[in-house]
Amino acid sequence: MRKLLTILLVFFSITTYSQCVSNQSFTLTPPGPYQPGDVVVVNYTLGNFTGINVNWIHAFQINLGVGWTNLTPIITPGNPFGSTGNWLWDLQNTYPGGFNFGPGWRFVNAGTAGWGTSSNGPFTMRFSVTVAPTCTPDNLNISMEVFDDCVTGGWANGNCCSDPAFQIYNGNVQVVTPITSNINHY
Amino acid sequence: MNYKENKQVLLTLFITMIMMVTTIFTYGQTTINPDTVCANATGEQYFVTNTPTSTYQWTITGGGGTLQTGQGSNSITVDWGGVSGLYPNAVEVIESNAANCPGTPILLDVFVLDLSGNPIGPFCAGDPTTPLVGNPVGGTWSGTGVVANAFQPSSAGVGNYVLTYSMAGCNTTINVVVNNGPVTGPIQHY
Repeated sequence: MRKLLTILLVFFSITTYSQCVSNQSFTLTPPGPYQPGDVVVVNYTLGNFTGINVNWIHAFQINLGVGWTNLTPIITPGNPFGSTGNWLWDLQNTYPGGFNFGPGWRFVNAGTAGWGTSSNGPFTMRFSVTVAPTCTPDNLNISMEVFDDCVTGGWANGNCCSDPAFQIYNGNVQVVTPITSNINHY
Repeated sequence: MNYKENKQVLLTLFITMIMMVTTIFTYGQTTINPDTVCANATGEQYFVTNTPTSTYQWTITGGGGTLQTGQGSNSITVDWGGVSGLYPNAVEVIESNAANCPGTPILLDVFVLDLSGNPIGPFCAGDPTTPLVGNPVGGTWSGTGVVANAFQPSSAGVGNYVLTYSMAGCNTTINVVVNNGPVTGPIQHY
């Protein structure tokens, strides 16, 4: 009886929170704050992906504030012990279920399209972004979102829909306005 | 005050002096607002401290002023008109940095000063001292025969003179003539 209760508790705790991502980390080079023209390299690692109910990982989406431009991929995520296929850099993709993705990397399963990869990670990737020219303190938010069967519609019994976006940077452009001296007359 | 205190005061004064000299050489003179220019002055130079990566947008408004040279740079020349008066915000500059972000507009009021002097004379050599009147009042008269802003024909003597009225770096002149008095012969008795 106690064993059954324990199993039920574990089951309910998993299904209640339904988070499949864990051990996320990042580095920003250089660290903020940032001014127009600054080029920032972002390293992001998803340490572990546990697909509840055989929920496979599909994509890493990069969410950027309006102050960024020139998003450039540098290192593609790995696929340790995963399905046959590859991570594809994509600025935009609409999944068959209508979900819009991008920009970021999405896994293209070589066997069955729409299945993602069975890999549990770790997944490490790198990209760079540039602070766009501006005279206003535009938003420089950077976050990562992990999408899986539940979101893309690749597996109806998926249960990782509530994975929140992982915040990497939350700031604004440091606008530098000139400070002019008084007008002088010779 | 002992020797040590004296030394500290002297050192402080010396450092202050060095800082003042450095400031003057770095930023040049400081113009008091409003600035005063002479009517119909040409080539008047205005400037702000230069930042090499910045550009400067100047605007001249009122006073008959026209920007002659230097638009885009930190230093311009302006020709002014001849109508006397105070012109608020006559000179404006907006600096934009390398990212093309504008700074706060910097403004300067300009007072165009048109001097004039009331004509006097002609005089005879023995005439009494006559006050000199300039417009606007408050300036200074100079020239031959001028004493305390008044003209003394007796001091000047016979001749043609140019008297100058000066104020705030502006000048105007009037011409004054002192003639010989009549020469009367000795009284004769028929």
